[in-house]
Amino acid sequence: MAAPSIAVTPPVSQRASRGLWRDAGRRLLRNGPALIGLTCILVFVLGAILAPVLSSYDPSLGQLADARQTPSLTHLMGTDLLGRDEFARVLYGARLSLQLGTISVVFGLAFGIVIGAAAGGLGGKVDGVLMRIVDVLLAVPGILLAIGIVAWLGRGQIQIMLAVGVSYTPIFARLLRGSLLALREADFVLAGRSIGASRLRILVRHMLPNALTPLIVQATLALATAIIDVAGLGFLGLGPGDPRVAEWGEMLTDSARFLQYAPYLIFFPAAAIVISAIGFNLVGDGLREALDPRLRR
Amino acid sequence: MALLEIEGLVVRFRTHEGTIHAVNGVSFQVDEGETLGLVGESGCGKSVTSLALMRLLPSPAGHVEGGRVRLDGTELLDLTEAEMRDLRGRELAMIFQDPMTSLNPVLTIAEQMVETIRAHTQMTAEQATARAVELLGMVGIPRPETRLKAFPHEFSGGMRQRVMIAMALALHPRLLIADEPTTALDVTIQAQVLELLRALTADSGTAVILITHDLGVVAGMTRRINVMYAGYIVETAPTAELFAHPAHPYTVGLLHSIPRLDAVEGEPLIPIEGTPPDQRRAPVGCPFAPRCAWRLAACWSTNPPLEPLVTGMPVVLTGDRATHRIACLNPPTPEEAAAGLPLREGFVAAPAPGSVVDELAIAEVPA
Repeated sequence: MAAPSIAVTPPVSQRASRGLWRDAGRRLLRNGPALIGLTCILVFVLGAILAPVLSSYDPSLGQLADARQTPSLTHLMGTDLLGRDEFARVLYGARLSLQLGTISVVFGLAFGIVIGAAAGGLGGKVDGVLMRIVDVLLAVPGILLAIGIVAWLGRGQIQIMLAVGVSYTPIFARLLRGSLLALREADFVLAGRSIGASRLRILVRHMLPNALTPLIVQATLALATAIIDVAGLGFLGLGPGDPRVAEWGEMLTDSARFLQYAPYLIFFPAAAIVISAIGFNLVGDGLREALDPRLRR
Repeated sequence: MALLEIEGLVVRFRTHEGTIHAVNGVSFQVDEGETLGLVGESGCGKSVTSLALMRLLPSPAGHVEGGRVRLDGTELLDLTEAEMRDLRGRELAMIFQDPMTSLNPVLTIAEQMVETIRAHTQMTAEQATARAVELLGMVGIPRPETRLKAFPHEFSGGMRQRVMIAMALALHPRLLIADEPTTALDVTIQAQVLELLRALTADSGTAVILITHDLGVVAGMTRRINVMYAGYIVETAPTAELFAHPAHPYTVGLLHSIPRLDAVEGEPLIPIEGTPPDQRRAPVGCPFAPRCAWRLAACWSTNPPLEPLVTGMPVVLTGDRATHRIACLNPPTPEEAAAGLPLREGFVAAPAPGSVVDELAIAEVPA
């Protein structure tokens, strides 16, 4: 007990409650690698938003006469095989990659939370059946699953988001179920039941919010791989299906054939993929440290 | 009629290592407004008994396999889960051992208290908040309006237990089960929390079952004590009577194994020998026999029922005048109870049936 503070007004209650997230945010900003990651992501997000301002070229129009120019002041990253400005394509490609990556992870999270909550919250037979299905999905490599789904549903942006999302679902479902199983034994869950809270209320209000932390960390890390997966699908010829759309993966495929003549064409989209993936990875790791008191440095 | 009547309660746990015989036919009653202590070492079935009557046994392992639990005449074990849920918090409430983990860390105190109040009443959010403020003030939390918006981690352990008490008493339950409410607290805070609990439940007329392994805690708080061992009640008596005249060898052992301020200097503590029984085996004979200094040969095969110490009087089950009852074939005399050892000439605890070593040891005694 803080005996000396009797005369003084204790500052604790004067200050607004900081809460878990405010504290975690502060720790994240003190974490060097996470800051670098945040900067990388910020650069790409700003680039994607401000693409029309940053580049006066249309990413889908080019002059064949300007094809395969080396980087210069007029074309910062040179031009591609069809004379389109590479810088503009990388910027607009960021729009697509960030959008597809984020939405597929949101899809994966949504499916995963529903399945994981049903399995971990209801337990018993429901848990058994759902987890066996998840096991089967986990046994198939994610990118292979995504390729299968795109091959089945056809090419297109929505199909890609669904495919990548579904390939992440088992990871999220399993993670959430694990946390929920541990929480079922938690004292505050028993305490909640002892004052008459219903099962659904305990699951939604008491257990899920406590189980979200690892999911958020995993989702941030999944963003990195989702961007790579989306580009991977594009590289394998399963991209959005519109050759005019700038997509990092398809840009790699297009320029791979001319690696000897125009190596810079493959360098810029590849660098974009690597840097954004590393950015999300660093932020994910930073979040994990910021949210888990045991890893605090 | 007593508020709570438990008759022959049997609880088993099915585990991978076999069946755990957690509670083996426990019967007791609690009167309106009465405070009953449930005392015993870890694993003796105190908490399981209380979880069983709240119908909160861990599923699917825990089962009530027999007995009746009646609250004010209502058979709790026959209620549906929804009916039971309605009783929890409103008629029956519980306080747990560890206040550090019994509050949800991601919700503010306000959210948790208002939720509890509104789950059982028609109050609006504002009314429930006002009630929460009033409750926090009642349990001695300074500036309840501001503290209500705080998260559990911003409270100390003692303060959290006060919040738990406030939540448990929010709806004026008729029976409060306090499962080791002070075990996790500093000694200096323990007394404050116990006093608070005593004062509040006395005000509202709430009956309390106080579960503890600490005889010092029950001494000042309860009117009556049940001593439990291995899933049985082995002795029950009004508190003063139990401390003055412990009659079961286990109770005698418990009282002699705590250091006392008024003890003669140099007097050794007498520990209870051995370890609690393995509850995976179905009980045969008196469960305390293997550790008992007063055991007879019959103790190995007969488990005596709970019977009045003094026969010929009507048996009273509740209140200050409750009959002192024990489950023992060979109870220690008052002098032996005071000494903590059998004092009879030439008495040796009966060996386990079939144990050769002990028989040899006895053969040497007469010489």
